[in-house]
Amino acid sequence: MPKAHPIAVRITIVLLLLTAGFAAEPRRIAVYTPQTNYQVDILVRDGVDYVGVTDLLEPLGRLESRANGSKFTLIFNGNAADFQDGKRQYRTSSSNKLELASNFLVIDRRGYIPVASIVQLLPHIADTTAEYHAVPRRLFVGSTQFRFAAELRHGPSRLVLTFPVPVNPSSMIEKNRVRLIFRREPVVSNGADSVSYSGDPFLVSSSFSEIPEGAEFIASVLQPAVVSVGDGGHTVTISAAVQAPALPAGSAGQSASQGAANQVQPPTPAPRTRPFVILDAAHGGSDTGSVLSANLLEKTVNLALARRLQKELEARGIPVVLTRVADNLLTWEQRAESANTSHASLYVGLHASSSGHGVRVYTAMIAPQQPVQTNRSFLPWELAQAPYRERSDTAAIALAAECRDEGLPVRSSAAPVRPLNNITLAAVAVEVAPLESSAGQLGSAEYQQKIATALASAIAKVRGKLEAAQ
Amino acid sequence: MIPRRLQYVIAALVVAILAMGAYLVHLKRKAESISAPPATLALTAPVSGPAEQMTLYVASDGEDSLQPATITSALPGDPGERGRLALHTLAARYLEKDSEHPLGAGADVRDVYLLDPGSAVVNLNGAFAESHRSGIEVEQLTVFSLVLTLKAQLPQLNRVRFLVDGKNRETLAGHIDLTGWYDVALVTEAAKELK
Repeated sequence: MPKAHPIAVRITIVLLLLTAGFAAEPRRIAVYTPQTNYQVDILVRDGVDYVGVTDLLEPLGRLESRANGSKFTLIFNGNAADFQDGKRQYRTSSSNKLELASNFLVIDRRGYIPVASIVQLLPHIADTTAEYHAVPRRLFVGSTQFRFAAELRHGPSRLVLTFPVPVNPSSMIEKNRVRLIFRREPVVSNGADSVSYSGDPFLVSSSFSEIPEGAEFIASVLQPAVVSVGDGGHTVTISAAVQAPALPAGSAGQSASQGAANQVQPPTPAPRTRPFVILDAAHGGSDTGSVLSANLLEKTVNLALARRLQKELEARGIPVVLTRVADNLLTWEQRAESANTSHASLYVGLHASSSGHGVRVYTAMIAPQQPVQTNRSFLPWELAQAPYRERSDTAAIALAAECRDEGLPVRSSAAPVRPLNNITLAAVAVEVAPLESSAGQLGSAEYQQKIATALASAIAKVRGKLEAAQ
Repeated sequence: MIPRRLQYVIAALVVAILAMGAYLVHLKRKAESISAPPATLALTAPVSGPAEQMTLYVASDGEDSLQPATITSALPGDPGERGRLALHTLAARYLEKDSEHPLGAGADVRDVYLLDPGSAVVNLNGAFAESHRSGIEVEQLTVFSLVLTLKAQLPQLNRVRFLVDGKNRETLAGHIDLTGWYDVALVTEAAKELK
């Protein structure tokens, strides 16, 4: 028998790589900014990682982009940058000769920059610094990253992690290991990535590492452990489940008897601002929605409208969360799950259409039902909205009335729109159509602003009723 | 070196893969040509018998409305066939040049199955869904007009479900749900909000 078959081996490797390629999850960059956190999809071209420049900048401020043939112009908060498809050179308002790490790309009138050039671009266009961690694909804009301190305390033995800002990691507790995963928090290494606690009766070692789109802290332990979050989310304590009751932060000097008085406390979730509204810009990614005109897609208008509405609501002191902040695809189920776990009081799905005129407000086409009396009851997924129909009607009436007062033609009705039936809070879908015959009006900032102002005003008016009902 | 026998096996496998790929493409094209709908539909169905009145609920995009239209036609006795003829006639109306709610070329209703007097399954053809314009309102008008037109022919009807080429489909064209049963009473109630 021959020792090896190079061609057969190569064919096998290629097939395995192809299989792995098809099965691979899309890669994303986690972006942490002072305003918000979001993710941006990576596009690979000729072995180079790219990101959509509008996806990257849109959540950060006022953005306009224009593609004219191979030229691509970007205006962000008044700073302009001119790129050219297939060229590395670009110029901004402040600098004439700048160079990307690889060629700029224009695909479907969308501009893409190499990931390696993000850190160079942001100071010129967004007047802010950035730090990119390439392996875990984490981008920190404007020094948002923070470090933590880990301290082994005794009596009883426990590990206390202290953070400068509130955190709420997800924890996975196994027999001899505790994993804390930080997906939303821009936490980075404190310089001691791996620590060994020799001789401690509870802790063996701990390690910190950045993982794709997040970070994880692992503690190896000798006994079953519990994790508690205290001090308003500023401390996370890993302690033994039986022998070591969770102690409040700052109680390092307490004696065992003092600790026993506190006994085991359930993990305290970090306090946070509960959003009142969850805005869902429909479609995204490969799902373009309706083609409104030759160069205007529904997914783009929906996201722009969501952003305007978000700003209007926040200006009125109403906390908002968005299901998507970039051009990414979400399933209807993911949207419903986001809404149902957001603890918001109102879901607003945003759509745009070139057909008809004005604004249409929809509620789920489902028979109203009394709220479920016990938490043991389960509702079918397709009837989840039933107990919330009356609240949805209240919101729909308010939205329609406010739009009418603004002089917009408006109609409201029930309709089987995805995913309204699956949402366990007041839920409406709003479809915006142009006032004129031209669908181009849907892309106009003025028209979008008018709609956003009317919707925000209506939501502000109905807030009290919905919160009282909740 | 690869033994000659192994080289033959690899070559044979490569040839087989290419041949299977070509055959698959051939089968796909054949299937597409079989299911390709006619460009236009006949306005009247080939049925004979006494002429009866048939009510269609016709959508208008400009008016955001569903308006009843009565036509007289020979209708089959079988309720399922009767329902299919009504929906076929409605689809044909939407395919007319001056339609106020145009559907894409070739859109048609393949079948209407009655599971019991109160439950109907409507099987749309692929062109109906694939070429349908996307938007909540335009999709809602289409679905409501189909349900109400069917109800007008089958008074005992209380629920309707839609399939596309015999298969489940998530939405008609990105917005309106096609995964579940439509409660005819709820559709009738919601349609009152339309003009």
